[in-house]
This record gives sequence, structure tokens and C-alpha cells, in this order.
Amino acid sequence: MSIIEVKKLKKEFKVKLKEKGFKGTIKSIIKPKYKKIKAVNDVSFSVEKGEMIAFIGPNGAGKSTTIKMLTGILHNDSGSIKVMDLDPKKDRKQLAYEIGCVFGQKEQLWTHLTPYDNFKFFGAVYDIPETVVEKKINELKELFELDSFIDTPVRNLSLGQRIRCEIVASLIHEPKILFLDEPTIGLDPVVKDNIRKLIKRMNKEYKTTIFLTSHDVSDIEKLCKRVIIINKGKVVLDDSMENLKYHYLNKKILDCKCKEEVNLSGEEGINIIKNKGVNLKIEVDTNKKSISDALKLLNPDNIIDINISNVPLEEIISNIYNDGE
Amino acid sequence: MEVRKEFKLMFTSAKYALMREMLNKVTFFSNIIFMILNNASFIIQWIILYSIKDNVGGYSFKMVMLLWALASFSFGISHFFFKRAYNLSNIIMNGSLDNYLVQPKNVLLSAISSDVDVSAIGDIIYGLIVYFVCGFSIDTFILFLIFGITSSLIITSIAVIVGSLSFWFTKSEGFADRMNNMITNFATYPEGIFRGVIKIILYTIIPLGVVSYIPIQVLTNFNLINFLIVIGSCILFIIFAFIIFNRGLKRYSSTNLMIARI
Amino acid sequence: MRKYFYIFKTELMSNLNYVFNVLFSFIGYFIHILVFFYLWSYIYSDSSQVINGYSKSQMIWYVIITEVIWSVLAGRSFCRKISEDVKSGNITYNLNKPYSYIGYLLSSKMGEMSISFVLYFIGAIILGLIFLGSLPSINIIQFIIVLLSCILACIISAFLIIIIGLFAFYIEDTGPFYWVYSKVILIFGTIFPIEFFPGILKNILSYSPIYVVSYGPAKLFVNFSYIESIKILIAQVIYIIITYLLCLLIYKKGEKRLNVNGG
Repeated sequence: MSIIEVKKLKKEFKVKLKEKGFKGTIKSIIKPKYKKIKAVNDVSFSVEKGEMIAFIGPNGAGKSTTIKMLTGILHNDSGSIKVMDLDPKKDRKQLAYEIGCVFGQKEQLWTHLTPYDNFKFFGAVYDIPETVVEKKINELKELFELDSFIDTPVRNLSLGQRIRCEIVASLIHEPKILFLDEPTIGLDPVVKDNIRKLIKRMNKEYKTTIFLTSHDVSDIEKLCKRVIIINKGKVVLDDSMENLKYHYLNKKILDCKCKEEVNLSGEEGINIIKNKGVNLKIEVDTNKKSISDALKLLNPDNIIDINISNVPLEEIISNIYNDGE
Repeated sequence: MEVRKEFKLMFTSAKYALMREMLNKVTFFSNIIFMILNNASFIIQWIILYSIKDNVGGYSFKMVMLLWALASFSFGISHFFFKRAYNLSNIIMNGSLDNYLVQPKNVLLSAISSDVDVSAIGDIIYGLIVYFVCGFSIDTFILFLIFGITSSLIITSIAVIVGSLSFWFTKSEGFADRMNNMITNFATYPEGIFRGVIKIILYTIIPLGVVSYIPIQVLTNFNLINFLIVIGSCILFIIFAFIIFNRGLKRYSSTNLMIARI
Repeated sequence: MRKYFYIFKTELMSNLNYVFNVLFSFIGYFIHILVFFYLWSYIYSDSSQVINGYSKSQMIWYVIITEVIWSVLAGRSFCRKISEDVKSGNITYNLNKPYSYIGYLLSSKMGEMSISFVLYFIGAIILGLIFLGSLPSINIIQFIIVLLSCILACIISAFLIIIIGLFAFYIEDTGPFYWVYSKVILIFGTIFPIEFFPGILKNILSYSPIYVVSYGPAKLFVNFSYIESIKILIAQVIYIIITYLLCLLIYKKGEKRLNVNGG
């Protein structure tokens, strides 16, 4: 049974164009010019119960707009949305009891209060009886390892601790679906990893459906079984993580500084992007050559500095486009 | 049932915000005390005016004090419980409404009651002190409380209405501020000094008639019809505020004013 | 000197765009004047009556001028800005810049005020003419002296606000101090001339800052006298020096405190 059902979703924005300078300001007041932007253009997909789905795309691709429409913040121009058989446009309040939302860039917590007080407040928002809230807080405290700071005012917490509290706050009312909009934005890799683990554990424990947006591929690589990639308001790919990994996430970028020049041309699975003597940038196809083999070729003793990174999302998308043609 | 839950949440919000403000005791109490002094300083103004003339706009000194008591009390209630109503433009413009839209509660109520203004406690206390100094009786005190609530609801409604203009006009914040200040300005002067067009405006566009003048008349000389006029206008203003806000909210949801921020 | 001129100029330019905002805030000023116009019209039974040496038209012109000086100052946001600079530690960035923080504050404030001063003053004169029909008897030289006195009043007001804002070195919230200050100026300096207060209070007020930031220029405008004008200008210069030194003193003390506490 699908828990989210989206068909032919469309959303257009009118943007006022403003020319530079004082003249431009006057002009835009007297005769405003508008540009229409198709933020979401004919998007369809469905999500099954208990699924962890990643909704990714570069900045401005329409991720946030879509998530805002699914949660009832924005109204769609056309197409249909069913979230737990409810129409977010009409049944906003009813839907609110069933879903939880964490917007990475927007804080919902009261910063001067402790997480504990905050959770109790959200209990009141969702009309949960005191005793039930207490029990729930204890349970989530265990799961998200909040014990050491549950009585510390939120303003004194680190960013990672805060986001954990944000997530817990949105789980107080046991939502069936959790929307996470860029939950790991601005976090360092270790904290990111920790948050991902916790989200995964929570999904296992409560069978909560998770709808996650991100512009960071590694976020979802570790979390989700299914990926929807969106770009310029259109779905570019809707596939299993495994397929995506096999076809597009198999490449890593190695950027290294060596003591002596190394000649790698002609090696299978290695593509030289930049070669400026001791500064070398290569792309390694891990289906053909493992990272450790590549490192061996470079000779670990020869490496002064190295940086291994994923292929940027923009590049993956352009690859997908190219494959389609 | 629904309504009761909304109220419960409103009070929980106020309680939590108050807890936050009380973290710094010195700031908390100095805010309240200085606000009382602030209001009290106007007594000097009226002492001087009444030393020149023994009636100003048909009001005796005591009536002006009663006017001040009611204004201070009702402004205090409004600013304490609905601080954010005076900040609504900002809330709309910076996208904070999103947080309330994903909660199963009335968006307007959650938005405007999510913070408290501590100095407003000083207003409330000052209003009560001045009322008691002017003279206490059970029936006028009950009326005073009722009018305190109706006036605070009316000025809150006006703040919501002018604040909601930000749904349509991006630069209406200044106008909203002006309007709210204007009401404060007029509310502490006897209506009798105003004449002509201004007087008409004060009973219509800036509805101080039902916020201050009629309640003072009823307080000094009870009149059922005037009493009902105040209650009725209060209800109308509340309904109007909800209608305007909800219209705007629909627009917010269908256009996303904050496209620039995506 | 040049760098202060540049700070002044940048602030002025960026504020040109806010001309509309100034016009908008003028509505608030207009409302104040309107209320006082009606109030004094009620209290003066006829236009020939004189109360404490002021005719009705002089009384209303007095309020028109004092309110201009006060409105142009926009003290609340200025005070808040300074306090926030102090509390957030922004002020420490200014410590090692090649200009004095006080000089920076004053020149940027003056840039901001010049536009609103010009607009307010023109608007105020028009408003007064509409309400009262004629200007007080004043010739062009006298008018220029009044303007000069108004500008000096603005500078002293700005220094006084800076002093209050810098209290943030010592207390968490300077807001309440600002309220009290604004109420003192309003009651004792803006709505009534000093002559309206009883004996001792009158004497105290004529030595207080109120004499130089509101009473002086407004009194000159409604009832000019050369002797009075020299007295007021000298008092203003003395007050500028005193308030400036006070700003410096508080700033230096606060700066030391910051260094001790490590910001």
C-alpha cells in the first residue's frame, strides 16, 4: 500500500524581476516585470509504507517546494497529492497529526529551554496526555542517546545535538511519516554519520516512513534503499539505491599531491582528470579497480596529501541525462 | 473541545516563554518596574494640563486616569499574550509560518501567541494600580476587566489585520507599525478634544471609540446599549481578523512569497 | 577627517533609498502633532490667551520643533544597535580599526539623520503653516541660527544615546534606561516648555541637557532673541564637549573591562 501518492504535480512561481540601482527600483514599482519559474513540473511518484526514500537534487531543483506541498505548507497548482489518503491542501490539520517535519534550516525548538521542556511543549501541541508524553520522551531519549544533555538549555547544545533534538521533537506524536528536509546541512562528517545511524535505527524501530531531501549524495547512499533524483523541477531518476550505486556512484575522485610524478595513463578503471606533475587528480571506477589498488599504484609512500571524494551530484545528473540520449 | 485545546496550548506557550524571560531575574524585574515608571511619568503631563484648566475635553482628571488605566491594562494583556501579533509582518516575511503550518493547530493563534512581552506585565500592573487608586467597586471592577479583555482583543485584531497586509504587500511593515502606534497615541487622550473629521476617523478607521471612549462612558455611567456595542464590535473585529489572515494564508500557500529564499 | 566624511557619505547614500521610509515614519510624527494641536486648541480658550508666556500658536510651534529633533534621532534603534555591538562583541572589531568607535557612530548617525532632518523640517514647517496659518516672526539670519541650534541639539542627543547604549558594557539590557530617558525628554522637554514647571524644577531643567537638546532651539524659533541665542549656543557647545568626553570615558573603561574578561 502506498502511503504517499503524487501524480503530475505542478507548481509555478512568479518572480519579480528587478533591475539594478535606484532607477531599477522605481521601474519595478511602476511597471513590475515577472518571470515564471516552473519550480515543480510534472512530478509523479509513490512511496510505500515503511520505506526510506531519498529525494535529492541540486539547490533550487524543487526539493523543498515538493516537500512543502506534501506537508501542506504550499498548495499545488495542479496534479494530485495523497498523503495517508489525505489531501494536504484540504486536510492540513488532520494530516499534521500523522506527519513529523524537520527542516534543517529552520529551528522549531525554544532555545532557552531544555530539550525535555521542549518535548513536553510539543506533546501539548499534538494534544498528547502528560503520562504518555513522559513515556515517549524516555523511549526516544534512549534511542537518540540524549541522556547527557536532555536537561541542558538548547542554546548551549552543539549543532549535532540540536538536530537530534529537532528530530525527537518531531517524533513525539508518533508520526507515520517523517519529512526530513536537509537534516544534515552544516554538520561535520562525523556528526552527519551519527545522525544517519540514528535515523536508520529509528526507521527500523518504529517502521516510520522516511522522506528525506538532501543535496549531499553520501547522505542517502548510507540511508536509503530508493532514490528519486529531481532537477529543474522534473524527476530525472527514480530507482533503487543499488542500481544508482552500480551505475553512477561507483566513481571516486582522488586528488593527491605526490613526492614524485606517477604515470597512470592506460591503467584500466582510472581516468586522469588533471595532471600537473606532482599534483594529480584522477577518477577511479571502483567496479573495475578498488580504491586500495589505486592507492597502491600511487604508492602510499609517495603520497604527501590526498583527498578522496564523491563525484558531485551535478555531474551524476548530467551523466544520467547523457545515458538517456 | 477544539477551542479548549487551542487555549491550553496558548497558555503553555505563554508559560514557557515566561520561563525563558525569567532566567535573568534582574532584566525581568527591571523591565516590569521601568514600564510602570514609564507609564506613571505621564501623570506629570496631566497634572500640568489640569493646573491650567480644570477640564480637558470634558474629562475630569480622574476620568483621564481611568482612561489611562484601561488603556494600559488592555495594551498590557494584548502585548503579553499576543506579542507576535505586533510582529506579524516579520513572521510572514521570514517564513516562520511554515513551522506552524505543519502543526495541527490554528496557524494564527500559534503564530501570535508564541512569545510574551515581559514589559507588558508592567502595563497590566500599572493599569490595575491606577484603577484601584481611582476608586474600586465590584461592578465597575467587573466591567473594567471585561473592557480590558475586549479592548485587548480589538487592538490585537487590528494588529493582525494590518500585519496580514504583508501577505500582499512586501513593504507594509512600516504601515502596520504606524497603525499600532497611532492607536496607542490616541487612546490616552480624552475624546472631547478631537473635533470634525478626526472624530469620525476615531470611531471608524482607528476604532478608538470601542477601544477606549465608549468603555469609559459605560464605566462612569452604565448604559446597556453601549456595553453591547463594545461586545459586538469586539466579536466583529475578531472574525474580521481571522478572515483576513486566512485569506492571506491561502495566498501564502499558493504563491510562496519567499521564492527568493529557496 | 576624510574617513569620517566617507562614513558619512556612504551612510547618506544608502539612506537615499530610504527616503520613502522616512516619509512613512513622518506619518507617526504627523499624528503626534495632530494630537497636540487638538489638545492645545482645547486648552487655549481663545487665540489671544497667553499661558506661561506662550500664545497658542507659539505653543504648537514649540511642540512641532521639539518633536522634529526627537523624531529625527530615531533613538531606540540607535541605542539598540550600539548595545548589540557591545554585547555581541562586534565592538572588538572596531577596537583595532584606524578610527575611533565614537567617531564612527556619530558620523554614520549624522549621515542617517541628515536626510530625515531635511525632510522632517520641511514637512514640519508645511504642517505648522496648515494648522496655524503663519510662521512665528523670524528673519532669515535668525532662522539660520535656529537651524544651527537644531543641528547641535541632534549631535548632543546622539551622544546621549551613545552613552546609554554603551551602558551595555555593564548591564544586560539597556532598553529600560532608554525608556526612562525618552520619557524624561518627552515630558520635560518636548510637550511643555520649561516655563510650565514650578520654581525649583524650572531651575534644574534650565541647566539639564533638556535645555540644549529640545527647549533651546524650539524656544528660539517661537520667540527669538539674540541674547538668548548666544546663551543657548554656548551651552550647546559646552554640552557637546561634556557628552563627547563622557562617551570616550565610558568606552575606554568598557574596553578595558572587555579585555579583562577576554571579550
